[in-house]
Amino acid sequence: MTLETTTAQPVPVADWVTIAGLHKDPFPIYRRMREEAPVHWVPAVGRYMVTTYESCHLIENDQETFSANETGSLMKRAMGHSMLRKDDPEHDVDRKSYGSVLRPKAIKETWNGIFEKNSATFLDRLRAAGPGADLISEYAAPYAAENLRLIMGFHNASQEDMQRWSQTMINGTGNYADDPDVWTASKKSYDEVDDAIEEVLPYLLKNPDGSLLSGLAAMPIPMEAIRANMKMTIGGGLNEPRDVIGVAAWALMENPSQLNQVKADPALFAVAFEEAVRWVAPIGMYPRETTKETVLEGIQLPQGARLGVVIGAANRDPKVFTDPESFDINREKKPHLAFGGGNHFCAGTWVARASVAGVALPRLFGGLPNLRLDPEQAAVDAGWVFRGMTSLPVTWDK
Amino acid sequence: MTKISFHHAGGAVDVLDVDPGTSIMRAAVTNGVAGIVGECGGQAMCATCHVYVRPEYLADLPAISDDEEEMLDCTADPRDAARSRLGCQVILGNGLEDLEVDVPGSQV
Repeated sequence: MTLETTTAQPVPVADWVTIAGLHKDPFPIYRRMREEAPVHWVPAVGRYMVTTYESCHLIENDQETFSANETGSLMKRAMGHSMLRKDDPEHDVDRKSYGSVLRPKAIKETWNGIFEKNSATFLDRLRAAGPGADLISEYAAPYAAENLRLIMGFHNASQEDMQRWSQTMINGTGNYADDPDVWTASKKSYDEVDDAIEEVLPYLLKNPDGSLLSGLAAMPIPMEAIRANMKMTIGGGLNEPRDVIGVAAWALMENPSQLNQVKADPALFAVAFEEAVRWVAPIGMYPRETTKETVLEGIQLPQGARLGVVIGAANRDPKVFTDPESFDINREKKPHLAFGGGNHFCAGTWVARASVAGVALPRLFGGLPNLRLDPEQAAVDAGWVFRGMTSLPVTWDK
Repeated sequence: MTKISFHHAGGAVDVLDVDPGTSIMRAAVTNGVAGIVGECGGQAMCATCHVYVRPEYLADLPAISDDEEEMLDCTADPRDAARSRLGCQVILGNGLEDLEVDVPGSQV
């Protein structure tokens, strides 16, 4: 065999890692794993977790060896077989069906105006809730949900429907414990989304707009693919911008000198956004499966190995980022992996940048004088496969 | 084979011989050329393979598509009206046998 395989190391086992520990704060766990080896078998997760920047980056750019089309995928069960779990050329057909809806020109011409309107609506709601209100439930979540509802073209649903669909199907995607109640709620949303698509497509054929579903209504794409891709987009297009708004706002309020810097130069909201997704990637881990025996950064992996590509850990790799555990908008700019890379690079990247860095954050800090953390109630961050603020109580000067 | 030269700030140059049909981005990424990222793998989605093509080669380049056009407005270093291109959208060979580009100071 090749030199690589003869010198390759067996995979170390991280039997000390628990799901509860990851959920509470994965970063010290990731640090220990990264310092030991680039890959571990983690019994509690049932995956080989990959935690270095170099390995995560290699995997993203080699779909021949590291397939997205995973066997026994929870996501396929929760949402159907979307483009996120396909390799090229099948993936490429689905990806192209989204056309230019999520691209910068459409954002400039169509979506930015909608983001401004929605930001004003939910900033009013936050104001009405008053100091001590939760920034996530009063602003970030409904704002992200209403934006996504209109971008997707669900004119027959509410932003509350979007939030329920997203959360229940994401819970299904992460249902490693195989909890039957989670599957029941996930399946209910699955059926509701299918019904909503079926109802709205004829309407959009007669009343076309710039939305994803309007574009798809006129395309020869199988319904099964449309249904699965819409569910993936609900799951991938709502919680993530919500969580970036929450984490970025939290980090800025925790670091007043950086907040002052951003307030003095609102162009820096774009920098704060990139640093927030580097620091806490909203999607912290995604799966891949080896198509053959392979060696990853010196570690021997069998064929059919189910990997967790932990971009939440890669983004804090000290080989790439200096003082990686700190939130620092003044750090040297380096490419992070929060949007993934290669053919599965996040299709919503520019929508996220425009809606969060361009609108949500500047309107929030510009609209509520001296916005700050509520000293009476603690902010709570949680999660690892998906991570964000579960509660962010804030106060401001009236 | 086709030849591509990447000129870096300070005067260093990476000269590569690559197979016809290879994009500027792919040539750079597979050969570890510094300063070219190529986050999206070549879909004209990320603007991190931005290059400035040297003037003497501009006439040999393919036209700029709508996708490339809007992404060229999203580059980290300023767009040059004549010379800026996405490396993933320029394929070597087929009349473009030799090319020289300047690598921007930043892609993110």
